[in-house]
Amino acid sequence: MLEKLKRLHFWVLCFLMPANLYLIFFYAPVERTMGVVQKVFYVHVACAWIGMLAFVVVFAASIRYLLKGDEVSSRLALASAEIGTVFISCVLLTGPLWAKPVWNTWWTWDPRLTTTVVMWFMYLAYIILQSGGRSENRRRYAAVYGIVAFINVPLVFFSARWWRSIHPVVITAVEFGLSGPMKTTLFCTLATFSLIYCYFLVLRYRSLTLAEQINQLKGAGQ
Amino acid sequence: MTEYGRKIWLLYLKDLRTELSTQDNLLSTFVFGIMLVVIFSFAFQLADVPVDRALAAVLWISVFFTSTLSLQRSFAIEQKNDALSALLLAVGDRGAVFLAKMLSNLTSLLLLELILVPLAWVLINVQSAGPTQFGLLIGVLFLGSWGLAAVGTLINGMTVQLANARLLFPILLFPLLIPILIGGVLCVSAALNYSTGSVKGWLYLLLCFDLIYTVVPFVLFDLILEG
Repeated sequence: MLEKLKRLHFWVLCFLMPANLYLIFFYAPVERTMGVVQKVFYVHVACAWIGMLAFVVVFAASIRYLLKGDEVSSRLALASAEIGTVFISCVLLTGPLWAKPVWNTWWTWDPRLTTTVVMWFMYLAYIILQSGGRSENRRRYAAVYGIVAFINVPLVFFSARWWRSIHPVVITAVEFGLSGPMKTTLFCTLATFSLIYCYFLVLRYRSLTLAEQINQLKGAGQ
Repeated sequence: MTEYGRKIWLLYLKDLRTELSTQDNLLSTFVFGIMLVVIFSFAFQLADVPVDRALAAVLWISVFFTSTLSLQRSFAIEQKNDALSALLLAVGDRGAVFLAKMLSNLTSLLLLELILVPLAWVLINVQSAGPTQFGLLIGVLFLGSWGLAAVGTLINGMTVQLANARLLFPILLFPLLIPILIGGVLCVSAALNYSTGSVKGWLYLLLCFDLIYTVVPFVLFDLILEG
């Protein structure tokens, strides 16, 4: 049953990803002032969304691990952190591509940029902490770090925001600064990326489980 | 409560005493800090950056880097002869161990700053500062060091128990310190008359950071020193 669901998930993704590219490049109109470079926005926002989502999953799984001490949550947290790092890296790569022609600078210390880069460092630290061996101590410390790092995200964001801000606020509480087709495209991209995240998460979780089993078998053989 | 406070106080005194008795460590930490401040100010001068404006940055970067030396020792000294186990048996409460270690780390950071600040002041040739500026400077250094000591104690409690994790300490520590960096640098700049705007909010933010990172590790420390 699960195997079937996974295969279905795979084929749905095979269809959705090219369809999404079509939406981005042909359906959504070319932005009037920024031109074609604005297309990166859809991928950029979707990657940022997955990065945040992955971090929330790390946080939740860490709490669960500390409460229950089950391997499942620990492995889930690690898998999510790894995927989150990949997507945050994409955010940090696509952002400057857009910023150079539009803001005339590759990088600036805007709150969102600052928070993203700090998150990236915390993700990396988390992965390095976890990757030094799968001892119980490490898992527990990683869980503590996952929680502490998550608490740090709003602190970084608000302190950077107090300092200054030039990042375009596209989605505010009052209105949505995008035209109809653009909005549709953005939401479709968000949905597709969320599905990709789920697929990767399952895949990575399984490979971590298998790696652990192999290690146990090796230990038993010696 | 008084019993609890006494425990923390005794542990704190013990830490200070061991720190002072191993003078080599303290001395090399201070020398490293002084060297950093000198090197940074010299490099800024060479690059023709207005050094007086860089004071806040020089100061905080030096304190951050030097703290990796002093904070790392906090639990490392408990490793010899498995003193950590004895400590836990004697005290019982892990939260008390955390608070005492945090306080002793805070003390050594403040001692370090007592040397670094005048040095940076002289090197950078600060022109004017009144009593309110001094008050702000002391307040911000205290709040920043408190946060640094709290986060550092938590991270050190973890890394000291892992094999080959010495390099991990700064990697885990620095990303968590960014709010202190932002608030600290801005407030020190303000104290030296170089920036405008209200600093009160920043002091509250630093206080908020300190309280969060004192309470959360205090609660979670049972999980750190489980073994």
